[in-house]
Amino acid sequence: MIRSKEVLVLLLAGGVGSRLNILVQNRAKPAVPFAGLYRIIDFSLSNVMNSGLTKVGVLTQYKPLSLMSHLGTGEAWDFTGRSRGVKILPPRTGSRDSDWYKGTADAVRRNIDFINANPTDEVLILSGDHIYHMDFDAMIEYHRSKKADVSIGMMVVPKSEIHQFGAGITDRYNRIIGWEEKPKDPTTNLASMGIYVFDRKYLLNALARNNDDVDFGMHILPWAIDNDNVFAYPFYGYWRDVGTVQAYWEANMDVIRRDSGISPQQWGIRTNVTTAGMSADRAPARFGSKVKLLNSMISSGCKIMGHVENSILAPGVIVEEGAVVRNSIIFTDCHISRRATVDLSILDKRVRVGEQAVVGAGKNFKTANRLKPTHLYTGITLVGKGTEVPAGHKIGRNCVINSYIREEAFPGKVIEDGESLFPDGEIS
Amino acid sequence: MILAGGRVDELNVLTYYRPKSAVPFGGFCRVIDFSLSNLMNSGIEQVAILSQYRSYSLINHIGTGAAWDMTGRYRRASILPPFTASEGGSWYRGSADAVFKNLDFVKYQQPEDIMILSGDHIYRMEYQDMISYHHEKDADLTIAFTKVDRNTAQRFGVAIIDDEDGNRGGRIQEYWEKPEKPESDWVSLTVFCFKPETLYRALEENQSGQSFEFGRDIIPSLIQQKCRIYGYKFCGYWGYTRTIEEYWRSNMDLLGENPSIDMEAWGIRTNLEHRGIRDFQPALIGDGAVVENSMIYNGCIVEGTVKNSILFPGVQIGRGAAVENSVLFFDNVIKRNCRLNKVVADVNSTYGEGTVIGPELEGVPAKVTVVGWNNQVPNQTIIEEGATIYPHLKNGQWLRHVKNGEVLR
Repeated sequence: MIRSKEVLVLLLAGGVGSRLNILVQNRAKPAVPFAGLYRIIDFSLSNVMNSGLTKVGVLTQYKPLSLMSHLGTGEAWDFTGRSRGVKILPPRTGSRDSDWYKGTADAVRRNIDFINANPTDEVLILSGDHIYHMDFDAMIEYHRSKKADVSIGMMVVPKSEIHQFGAGITDRYNRIIGWEEKPKDPTTNLASMGIYVFDRKYLLNALARNNDDVDFGMHILPWAIDNDNVFAYPFYGYWRDVGTVQAYWEANMDVIRRDSGISPQQWGIRTNVTTAGMSADRAPARFGSKVKLLNSMISSGCKIMGHVENSILAPGVIVEEGAVVRNSIIFTDCHISRRATVDLSILDKRVRVGEQAVVGAGKNFKTANRLKPTHLYTGITLVGKGTEVPAGHKIGRNCVINSYIREEAFPGKVIEDGESLFPDGEIS
Repeated sequence: MILAGGRVDELNVLTYYRPKSAVPFGGFCRVIDFSLSNLMNSGIEQVAILSQYRSYSLINHIGTGAAWDMTGRYRRASILPPFTASEGGSWYRGSADAVFKNLDFVKYQQPEDIMILSGDHIYRMEYQDMISYHHEKDADLTIAFTKVDRNTAQRFGVAIIDDEDGNRGGRIQEYWEKPEKPESDWVSLTVFCFKPETLYRALEENQSGQSFEFGRDIIPSLIQQKCRIYGYKFCGYWGYTRTIEEYWRSNMDLLGENPSIDMEAWGIRTNLEHRGIRDFQPALIGDGAVVENSMIYNGCIVEGTVKNSILFPGVQIGRGAAVENSVLFFDNVIKRNCRLNKVVADVNSTYGEGTVIGPELEGVPAKVTVVGWNNQVPNQTIIEEGATIYPHLKNGQWLRHVKNGEVLR
């Protein structure tokens, strides 16, 4: 039987990603900026494009606005044309009241009409919040050659991390014979990357079986493994779930480290450059005459007069004379004034750091954030969108400075290690 | 209508394969982007580009016109190449002939005013202000002028403008195209605003002549006919890049603390699809890098020294290499320990290890060295200042030492 090349892609982009803290206050996790010019979802979308797949549904739910404007018509990923397209699939009112997607499988089930309207032999289901480079075409070939009902992209991860993932036990033919969802005491180190190729009919039957099966990893896959042909598709390259601030920071730093295995440009990653504020309107980066630079990534539209070291700067960042930016990730249009210092911090869009202010002060990296000790515990400080850090102020380590805090709202001159500041001036 | 067909001999190597309007400028864009962005920012969105000389690069660059928001029901960027017709047809014999041959196209749009401008200049102008002046004066033709040093004026169209409206403009009393002894400092920017009937009539009358240029033929004849011709005075920056030295100097005007050309403030847009520059990641600045007073676009990898220079997308500077006072176009690779001083380098070349171009560093040499595209410069080559290297030299054509001002072809 000749199989058509077409495979329908469903991209799950609804995740809250709450462990990314204030970076997901106004946007879904897939829309979080990454490596200066990109957003996390660009990696999945570009992999889809580079694999020659052209029919995509993006399932959104949580704060989809920023994501929707980023996707636009899908033109950036070549998804426009007669037989190509990207559709945004938000939750809709069903026959009963509870309308929000209850899980990954539930989200797909609620869009069965979309699957029926685009009948393909297989359906590729992906998550939109991982950083990786993968040829799905090869995976689909593998799926076909194994005559599998389901194939799952899987890779070996350190045993200490397996508790975050679905874990599979395979036989020597890569058939999955056992499954542990987020195991506390894992017996395997083979983790699911949340990439599934389903035979369409098999998927439709599996979803029809029981409406309480709302999650692939918890319900659909274990049942399929017990009863049918499920294969692991082994993956060996760079892959990161950037769901925590620490993992997000490390993956960004990997981009400026030689030999880390990640290179958006070589991977053919595309982004939407015409979204407001992105590179379409930006001139080349300008560098002044008293600049010191070390191992950094600098986007178009930046004006650098100071010192930038081990950092990633998105378009339009200004670093004035005498200012220092070190080990940090700076989003678009931030302004670091004269002799200010930003160290081991992530600054969301349009943050202004006043003269001689310090973000990331002192050497106490160990006092975790008081409100979210599991989010920030290695010293990284977060500053939310549009906040103005007043001149001369000091912000310590593991701090969270929320979005849109005006200078006047800052209570004292110092925010201590592990403290969080809110727009009404409250510190906790 | 943008006149974008011309090839300028002085820019020689850079215009070997492209019209002057498609020559790269400003670290990521092309010369014509200044006119196109001015049009976009002035809200003029029915644009035709007259192109004749090696249009390929220009056609690629314009694309759908979407980069300048020129797509939509009433917005369009059309490229008008020469064509053959049932009664023969021919190449464009001059700027006026190019417009004449496309009068069908022009009349079909039923324009209220027709602007004709050159796509070869670097400037920021609000055309709407000039058009309002044109309307206020009920002029047949309004021409934009700028003041230059009189010694350099003989290369331009020169006019005496009366002071009817002071700094804004006035009626043109005399006009000379490239006069030997200019009698005024006001020179034409080649930005014209015509009343349609005036243009149609003048172009038709001109067809019986021997020469078909706006500056040389159309303007003098309209003046002779005592038409209402006004000069609109423009006092912003105007980059006129007819020689390679001028071209280099205009590039240097992009640098410094308060550059005379501020592309972001001017709202300059380019087509990021052209050469795929949208797909470049942010510039990577390595450990050994020293960067001073320079412009660097996405996709560059810098591991050496870059001073007073402009790097276009995809340029790589190897360890120990130093680039000063230079403009390096797209995707040039400068290998380890090269020294480049005052070089304009066209696209896609590799400079082998230890290549030296121009004199020792520190200090700006007198003459620019130009290197044409797609060259593989052998390791340790020495090229003295002012040399010209033709595009795409074969391996056997290279010399170990290219002398001062020598032309290697």
